[in-house]
Formats: sequence, C-alpha cells, structure tokens
Amino acid sequence: MLLFRGEEHIDRWCSQWDQPRGAILTIEQAWRLAEAWYGSKMTQDWRRASLEETESLLEGLGLRGPFWRLRP
Amino acid sequence: MAVPTDTEVRLQLYRDFIESGRPPSISRVAGLMGAPLEAVRAAFERLAAGKAIVLQPTSREVLMANPLSAVPSPFLVRTGGRAFFGSCVWDGLGIIAMLQAGGTLETSCSCCGEAMSIDVRDGEPQPVEGVIHFAIPARRWWENIVFT
Repeated sequence: MLLFRGEEHIDRWCSQWDQPRGAILTIEQAWRLAEAWYGSKMTQDWRRASLEETESLLEGLGLRGPFWRLRP
Repeated sequence: MAVPTDTEVRLQLYRDFIESGRPPSISRVAGLMGAPLEAVRAAFERLAAGKAIVLQPTSREVLMANPLSAVPSPFLVRTGGRAFFGSCVWDGLGIIAMLQAGGTLETSCSCCGEAMSIDVRDGEPQPVEGVIHFAIPARRWWENIVFT
C-alpha cells in the first residue's frame, strides 16, 4: 500500500510497472483502517480477526466490492 | 524455566521492540522472559503460522511484528521521541494507531519521489494532499505479504 500525491500519479505508477489499478483510499479512510486493524495489537486480548469479522470491519469502513471481497 | 504462552511471547516481543526501538532477537526475548530459547523459537513459528507476525525466511528472526518492520523501509514513523519503520503506508499509520500517541509518517510519493508526510494528532490525521493505492485485492494479501 503506497502513498501518492494524486490519482494521476497512481495512473503513471501503474503504467510504469504494468500493474492494474487497484483500490484508492483517502488518507482518512486508511487511518480508520489502520486504527481498526492495529489499535489493539499490543493488548493481551488481541487475536487475529476471523474471516467474518474482517469482512464486517471492511464493510463498516465502506470498503465494498470485488476488490475487498475475501472469499473466492 | 517456565514455558511462556504465545500471548506472553507476543507481548514481550512488541513491548521490547517499542521500548528499545529495535526488533528483539529470539534469544533476547528468551533472555528477557527467563524462558527456554527453543520454546520462544517455537512460539515465534506459531505466531507466524497464525499470521500475527512475519519471520525472515532464513534466520527465522522477526521480519514484521506488524505493523512494525524489523528492516528499514521507505515508511518512517516518528512518535514519542522514537522512530520505527512500517512495511507500507497502512502499517506506518498502524504504528501510530497502535501506540495511540500521535506521530508523523514520513515517506515519499511512490511515483515521483516527492517527500510527503502525514501527521496524526489527537487521534486524527491532519489534512494533507495524498491518496493511497492498494494494488493487491484483499483476498490475496497473504499470498505474498512481503510484496503486499
């Protein structure tokens, strides 16, 4: 997951490295994802989220569609 | 010597990484815990199998205590007078989120190399130009987590 100055920079990078355009998040969205993913990592009770919990987390952050789907 | 639980090993690993600013070796974690070296080595392997951490391919020492990277990367986080590397922009923000102390992620545009930084204060990223690109679909992240 890489940071770019703008979407035109993403397009240039994808073209240069022959990569398909993936998903684009705002910094705010990425921060919310980071908080949800790692906020409790240093606690005694942390455990890896189940598939269902991860799906629910992504959905709750508005990350929907084929790119964010976890099942084939 | 008592054999620690995997949770105890994980917490010791993370606490020492944060306090010292360096990734602890298996032997250091064992020493700090007064635990048998082989028990800690086995715990590292189980934590990696459970995708809690990522190990280096040959030495089997820590590569990622996600979101912390044990090796230098283009994603430097400064927080609380210390500096850490994240493996990607998401992990860089994740370090600040995990430590709940505010901080700055210093990196650069992956296209043109222009320096960029993201400040997080009072639990919020400060407004700044920039967008984040996820190249790998979510269900494939762990096929090759180092590339992801």
